[in-house]
Parts: sequence; structure tokens; C-alpha cells
Amino acid sequence: MRRPLEIKAEEAAARSVVSLTSALESISSMQIAKTKNKVLISNQFFEEVWNIYKQIRVDVLFNYGRTVNQTPIEKELLILITAKGGLSGDIDNRLIRKFMEHYNENKNDVLVIGHHGTTKLKQAHVDYKYYFDLPEHDYINVDPLMEIIKKYAKSRIFYQNYISLSQQEIIEVDLSEVVSSKGRTADLSTIGDDMVSEKTYIFEPSSYAVAAYLENSILRLTISQFIYDSRLAQVASRFKAMSAAKERSISNAAGLHTEYNRAKRNQVDTRLKESMSGLKKLRAGGAQ
Amino acid sequence: MAEDTPAEVPSETEQLAAVADPKKPTIDIKVYAPFKVYYEGVGYSLSAVNETGPFDVLPKHHNFLCMLVPCDLKIQTLEGEKIIKISRALMHVKANRVVVFVDV
Repeated sequence: MRRPLEIKAEEAAARSVVSLTSALESISSMQIAKTKNKVLISNQFFEEVWNIYKQIRVDVLFNYGRTVNQTPIEKELLILITAKGGLSGDIDNRLIRKFMEHYNENKNDVLVIGHHGTTKLKQAHVDYKYYFDLPEHDYINVDPLMEIIKKYAKSRIFYQNYISLSQQEIIEVDLSEVVSSKGRTADLSTIGDDMVSEKTYIFEPSSYAVAAYLENSILRLTISQFIYDSRLAQVASRFKAMSAAKERSISNAAGLHTEYNRAKRNQVDTRLKESMSGLKKLRAGGAQ
Repeated sequence: MAEDTPAEVPSETEQLAAVADPKKPTIDIKVYAPFKVYYEGVGYSLSAVNETGPFDVLPKHHNFLCMLVPCDLKIQTLEGEKIIKISRALMHVKANRVVVFVDV
């Protein structure tokens, strides 16, 4: 049996882990509230821009704002939005698993957002071509990312979506498909009086220039929205992981405390036995 | 028996508009980015710059959609002029309401 002092030291370490995980759980909880609120505010903005886009859209095919003369790379670009660092639960592992189901070295180029993703890809022996840090601030400049996306014929994005505090899912979507599907709802019969056309609107500099600008804006907003969603899912996943770790460390500390008490009792019992046997021997010696 | 219908209470901005100059027409204005509302309320006019040059949007403006170039957006509010610096924006005018989407 281990010595009580050793167990005591281990229990103290377990209690430190409880404090640490509690603090991280609280931080994650605050971050969730903050991020969730921001996502809700930004959704209102996105919806309003989407509505204008729906009404103006004529061409169902989305071409990433490319001109006719530009020839795209005939590979599919796979974009992974992952966490900045560790301590984000199993969400990045799940994302990498989903990515691996789709990945083909000869047909895909990989773009990673978030440092944790690069570590996970190295572990999976997958080389990535582009890397960006996960943006921390509210304003996300996705222009460098868009420049890369425009070069490719197809782009697929893997991101994390927040469902609830205990549930986050991994979503993979074809970027052009997600934008086109929203544009497709611009069915003339559903628009009615809201239709934005040259008959009902003044455009400056021209209707085509505004439509092209909006197409770029929509792509920019879509990517930004995916990044915001992923950030929210990541903090929720971290909260879940920290709650589980806290529970485990509390149970571990309680177990160690019981073990310490047993060891201490055992030590006292042993001493008592030794004293008793000594006393017996002394008494036996005295009788002689 | 006559039904009691609640009297329609004018909003704060409507009250302010009536006090400022009841005869002067106003337009609803909203300038916002995904995470920040720069201005929301009524105003007399809004001035901005697009590729064609500087222009004003007055109350009852025709439906209008345009891209703005980096400029100072000037709003004549009921309390005075408000200036917002923008780098990239889209302006949408419809039904006496102008919305400027900043950073799109």
C-alpha cells in the first residue's frame, strides 16, 4: 500500500486540476454567451443582405466572382475550420475524420484555418497547401481566403456548427452549392413586388457591377458566417470537455481522499499492532 | 357597446421628428456592420460617395442600390450632423428607408 503522504500529494494535485478545469469551464461559459450573442446579431445583418441578393440574382450558377477569361484549377479545394489550439474537446478530431472520408491526395488541395487543424493533419500524414490563423476579432478579413478560393473550380468547406451546449455537429458543404441554393429561392413567382430590377431600381455604377459585387459579398459573408459558427461550436465543445474533466477530477480527488484515509488508518493500525505486540513481549518478559 | 381601442403611441424617434421640424420630411436610416450599428433612426438626408461621385439621398428617394467607395458618410440627423468613416459598403434605398451595409 502507498504511503499516506504520497496519496495526500496526489490528492492536492487532483484538487488543483479541479480548480483549473472549473476556471476554464467558467471562461468557456462566458465566451459562449458572448459569441452566441454576436452570432445572433450578425445573422440579422446576413439575412438582410441575403434578401437583397435573392431579389437581384439572375444567374443560378455561382462562379465565385470569376470573369469568363479566368481558368480555374481543376482540383477541389478542401477548407477546414479548426480551433486555435488544444483544449477544445473532440470536435477537431471529428472534423478531421469527416475530412479524411472525402480527401484524395490527387484530387484535392487543403486549406486549414486554425493551428490545431495543422497539428491534427500532420498526425494523419496529410500535407496542407494553405494556412490561416483562426481570426479572434469580430471583424474577419476573408479577402486573402477568397483570392485562393477563386482560383479553384470547386471548393468544399468543413466546419463546426453549434446546435446546443451539449451538441455540436460537423458540416461539410460545397461552397458554390450553398450560395447557389440560396440564390435559387429567387424564383420570380416568390419575389413579387420585391424584385430588384432595372425597371424598379437605379443601380450605380451598373446593375451587372452591383450584382457581381453582391456575389463577392455573399461569398465573403458566407465564409465569415461559417467561421463565426465554428468559433461558437468550439467554445461549446471546450465547455463540454472542461465540465467532463472537472467531474472526473472531482471523482478522482474524492477517491484519493478515501484512499488516503484508509492508508492513514492502516498506518495507525499497524503502529497499534506493533505497540500491542511490544507491550505483550514486555509483559511476558516481566512475568519471567 | 363601444370597444376600447388603445391609442397608437408614436415612437421616440417619431416624437423627436415632430418636435424638431414637423413639416420637414424625414427618412429612416440604418448604418450597420455585422457586429456594430453605427446609426439607426430618422434623418433629413444622407450624403455619400460612389464611383460616379458624391451624392445625397433625400426623403422619398427612388429605389436605389449602389456600391460606396471609401468616404465619410454624412447623416443629417434630427440632432445634427453625424459623420461615419467607411471603407467598403453597399447602400440600399427602398420605401423611404436607407440601409448601408458596412464591410460587405
